[in-house]
Amino acid sequence: MSVAILAIAAGLYTGATAAYIAYFARPKHARFVTAGFWLLAGAFVVHGVAIGIGCGEYGGTEFFSLRGGLVLMVWLATGAYLLLQRFYHLPALGAFITPLTLVVLFPALFGDPGHPGVSPETLRHPTLTLHVMSAVLGVGLFAIAFGAAVMYLLQEREVKGKHFGALFSRLPPLESLDRMVQRLVRAGFVVYTVQFVAGTVTAAAVWKSAWSWDPQQIVSLAVWMLYGAMVQLRHSGWHGRRYALLTLAGFMLVLGSMVSIRAIPGFTRHMGDYGARVEGTQ
Amino acid sequence: VSVRDIFLVGLSHKSAPIEVRERVALTGEALKDALCDLRATEGVREVLVVSTCNRVEVYVQADSIEHARRFFTSRSPEAADHLYARSGVEAVRHLFRVAASLDSMVVGEQQILGQVKEAYGLASAAQAAGATVSRLCNRAFATAKRVRTETDIGKGATSMSQVAVELVEKIFGDLKGRSILLAGAGKMGALSAKALAVLGADRILVTNRSPDRGRALAEQVAGTFRTWEELERLLAEADVVIVSTGAPSYVLTREIVGRAMKARRKRSLCIIDLAVPRNVDPACADLDEVFAYDVDDMEKVVAMTREARREEALRAEAIVEAEVIAFAKERETRAALPVLAQLRRHAEEIARAEAERTLTQVGASLDEKGRRSVEAMAKAIVNKLLHRPTARLKEAASSGDGALAGAAAELFGFEGNAPQAEKRDAEAAGKPRAAASERS
Repeated sequence: MSVAILAIAAGLYTGATAAYIAYFARPKHARFVTAGFWLLAGAFVVHGVAIGIGCGEYGGTEFFSLRGGLVLMVWLATGAYLLLQRFYHLPALGAFITPLTLVVLFPALFGDPGHPGVSPETLRHPTLTLHVMSAVLGVGLFAIAFGAAVMYLLQEREVKGKHFGALFSRLPPLESLDRMVQRLVRAGFVVYTVQFVAGTVTAAAVWKSAWSWDPQQIVSLAVWMLYGAMVQLRHSGWHGRRYALLTLAGFMLVLGSMVSIRAIPGFTRHMGDYGARVEGTQ
Repeated sequence: VSVRDIFLVGLSHKSAPIEVRERVALTGEALKDALCDLRATEGVREVLVVSTCNRVEVYVQADSIEHARRFFTSRSPEAADHLYARSGVEAVRHLFRVAASLDSMVVGEQQILGQVKEAYGLASAAQAAGATVSRLCNRAFATAKRVRTETDIGKGATSMSQVAVELVEKIFGDLKGRSILLAGAGKMGALSAKALAVLGADRILVTNRSPDRGRALAEQVAGTFRTWEELERLLAEADVVIVSTGAPSYVLTREIVGRAMKARRKRSLCIIDLAVPRNVDPACADLDEVFAYDVDDMEKVVAMTREARREEALRAEAIVEAEVIAFAKERETRAALPVLAQLRRHAEEIARAEAERTLTQVGASLDEKGRRSVEAMAKAIVNKLLHRPTARLKEAASSGDGALAGAAAELFGFEGNAPQAEKRDAEAAGKPRAAASERS
């Protein structure tokens, strides 16, 4: 059921992507932006319904697989992007963000959502929901920052290299992009801090140890420190090209570690039953 | 009411030197008087005069093109050698192209449409513009609008100062809270600094080797003068630096700019070098967050714009052509309308008269219902009989064939009355649609 609804959401995401790309190709037609915005808003709502039904069907366990985590990330990142559109008018950003949602979402449509069942006792810990939501939202914000950084680097090449081609006129000014990257990194860092604290509290309660050298814990700490350093570097004058490259590297680390850690079975307890089995054997 | 009696005589930057143009150009009251004079001339029905610094064009709806030609020859005898004359569809096309900025010195510039609108406003105020000129102008404005929205003919920078604005905008977005530094007293520099005002810079700093010229320039661009010795400190303050000094070598070297960038704590800096020989070392552009451009770069952008506009102009010509054809067709259709109206009036008169005659003879033997039946029958015969000719006439007219309307008028003997119908048609100007539905 939830997978079928997810497919509808994927259709709406595709429509939104097409509209935003059409706007990028033909900036004169502002109605493409409007269409893109509402299609994306529709996708967000339908996706939300799919997630809600999925929670009932799978008891929340599906969020602990790579598939579920990424699907949730698309949803939260879309929400963040829609919110962003309300405050900053950067419609060109849509053409860079929406294709990312498709890349993540389409493989997920064919993935295994897990086995229907009741969630284990460990999954009912109150801080765990906060931990998962903030982790995924934080990564989602980093993803949007990544998109803005790519735009910055493209535009910088146009402006500095004196190309003045199609991209030059379509991409927003460098300063706006730079500011956007910085704000997203800062917001992402705050949210990521929340997930780190909530995760530690959950681990202390469920695993009986706040720090257990789980690979995901190590990577999370590294990511948190990296983005923390980026927030600091901003204050000491880092910006522009170097900052955009750093944002790119940061997100590569996040995405690369997310995928690789989960690719090895049993490598991390941040999977499937969220360590319930490990606890059971103790 | 066709396009055949629309004439144009004019001269423009393409046909006449400025000395001739300025001799015939008219503004304000003089233009109004000229409009009234021309309108009062026997044989002239409507007048439109477009007079800008690049062109003077007289459009008339009249019996002969000579009325328009006399406008020029009476003002300046040598104008005769530079005039171009168009009539009918050609004249319509010319106005549409002018309004769409396809005939401008800088193709795609925006001002000309406003100037044509102004010309129409003046003609209306002087009561020289009637139904034809109104319709002509409205279609010209609509065409210009289509061209502007459907093509990129108005896109891009066509001058150095516009290029500067475009570049700065793509780097900083706007200049709120930022400052511009104008180094050197070159003319292009001052122009660019003024153009950049649209981006809303907080202040303009001016520096120059000779303080007197520097102060004068500062006054001219509403800026603050600082001495030349402060240049390096000013580099750390300003965000956009426009350099146009007469110095024979680099004024801003890589070392100077590098030091300034350290002091700026890596805030971006845009340097625009308008001097020849160059005043800014091109190696400055290698520094992070330094965006440096010289005259050649800017010229390149202007050339690109020109090239792009040439391509867009081709698409614009197609739009103009379609609109010209539509306009001509519309006029032809309207030319057939008086004939149709007369035909119907004529037939209805006969039907009414015959029905009355019948009723006075046999009306006594009929009840109310019978009387109404006789009237209805007369009307029905008229409708049935005229149905097909009406459709055919409309069809022929809308495909641009006015011959059938002429034949119908001749066949029914309407020629004598035709001008009267046309006059009424002209009175219904401004609401052509309503007028058309009245008659059908």
